[in-house]
Amino acid sequence: MTIRTRLTLWYAGVLTVSLLVIGLGTYREIDEQLRHAHRRAPAERAISETSEMVFEVGLPAVALGLLGGWWLTRKALAPVSQLTEAITKVHERNLREPLPRTGSGDELDRLTEVFNALLARLDDSFNRVREFSLHASHELKTPLTVLCGETETALRANSRSPAERERLVSQLDELHRLARIVDGLTLLAKADAGQVDLKFEPVGLDELVRDNFADAQILAEPQHIQVELAGCEPLAVRGDRHRLRQLLLNLADNAVKYNQPQGRVTMNLRRTGEAAEFTIANTGAGILPESLPRVFDRFYRGDPAHSHTVDGCGLGLSIAKWIVLAHQGTIQIESAPSQLTTVTVRLPLNAT
Amino acid sequence: MRVLVVEDEKKTASFVRKALQAEGFAVDACHNGDDALAAAKSTPFDVIVLDIMLPGRDGLSVLRQFRERKNATPVLLLSARGEVNERVEGLNAGADDYLPKPFKLAELVARVRALCRRSGENKSTVLHVADLRLDTVTHRAQRGGTDIELTAREYRLLEFLMQSAGRLCGRMMILEKVWDYDFDPGTNLVDVYIRRLREKIDAGFEPKLLHTVRGAGYLMKAQP
Repeated sequence: MTIRTRLTLWYAGVLTVSLLVIGLGTYREIDEQLRHAHRRAPAERAISETSEMVFEVGLPAVALGLLGGWWLTRKALAPVSQLTEAITKVHERNLREPLPRTGSGDELDRLTEVFNALLARLDDSFNRVREFSLHASHELKTPLTVLCGETETALRANSRSPAERERLVSQLDELHRLARIVDGLTLLAKADAGQVDLKFEPVGLDELVRDNFADAQILAEPQHIQVELAGCEPLAVRGDRHRLRQLLLNLADNAVKYNQPQGRVTMNLRRTGEAAEFTIANTGAGILPESLPRVFDRFYRGDPAHSHTVDGCGLGLSIAKWIVLAHQGTIQIESAPSQLTTVTVRLPLNAT
Repeated sequence: MRVLVVEDEKKTASFVRKALQAEGFAVDACHNGDDALAAAKSTPFDVIVLDIMLPGRDGLSVLRQFRERKNATPVLLLSARGEVNERVEGLNAGADDYLPKPFKLAELVARVRALCRRSGENKSTVLHVADLRLDTVTHRAQRGGTDIELTAREYRLLEFLMQSAGRLCGRMMILEKVWDYDFDPGTNLVDVYIRRLREKIDAGFEPKLLHTVRGAGYLMKAQP
């Protein structure tokens, strides 16, 4: 029950009781008068006079009172509804915008003030976390550059034995993996801080998908995985060409990596309503239901056994999700163990 | 060939210098923007390797100064920020190439070499390496008189490798020039394409032309 209904009911109760009291008082008064005026049969007339008064005057007054009460509570509680609506719109991105205040200094205005202070503190800690990741990824780059450089320099010396060279090369491979992780983290940290500028322009999505299809075929070849392009409608979206290519390649790479030998990858690009829908489905082990909601999380690996056999930085899908969201699109994944894994991306079509 | 390395991080400056010297370049190094401007004024360099983040005057402002002074020396920008837009910003400011940190040393050397040769590049429409022939107008590839069929991507890869014949090509450089990727996709796309290309142009032919330099990249040349 909302406060408004409760208050209205109470108010109605109070009005009914006062109506009864008024009725009783009127009855006594009329009864008295009638006793003095006529000596006979006063009771019936008193009752009929009273009920006449109660029904003809009292009830309309109660109805009016109720209506007024309903209006009053509604008016009194309107700021609460407004506040609720404003708070519903608060999320991670707009913590900086304070809720509008009425400035009346009443209880609700005070509540808004306290809530705004809470938002400011939250925003502060969010910012600190963001800045930390941003600085951390920058700070990691210099030592990484030095490490890579020194290892490569060591590799250049002709005096190394083959075993030593092998060790250095393997070290260098890991360093480059680390560098890719740091790159991915930098990109996401910047995206969180809203510092990545995307260059939006009309992009022929079908052309990018066809390109990506060719690359996927090549990536799939060593494992004899068959790649198909089921459909590719000519569709244009507004987007950043580089990031969209990165998105498609990330998805294709995953579809091949988490596949089985002689498996299948099927891509499709079609129009659904006002959106371009790209789906990519792959055979393979599939994803456990409990892992499914977390696959877009940073560094999340569904199957711990997989994390060592599959090379990657663990940020591919997080980056993919960011790219899709930055284009006002949606991304979904469907899968079950030993079933097809399907990723669906929807991007709004270019309005022009 | 004389290279100026402008990098405030001493260790990075030191191994970049060593690597370039090992490749036969004469290398001068300085650690801030003002020194760089002074050095470039007094000495003609063939290439300048310039870090964006320098104490005091930053790399981009140094670069603009160079260009304002009509200094057309090719500039390779280095950056730890690795911003997507920074690359565009750098190229707009007059840089000739851009390399995000952490970079592969081999990649850096390859790029410096590419910048040195830029002006004297082969303008012929037919490229040759040993008996391999690529016509850049008709996109026709032949080895020892036999036609080789190439996909569009394979053609672009082969064209790039042949234009850089004799020079090491890093993976990032290939991704940039052949795929137009401004990010490291973290896949073995390049390696698989190279393997396929090798099957087409090297299998059954001698000498082998397409070589892998472990931990560094690929190299097209007639002699091993």
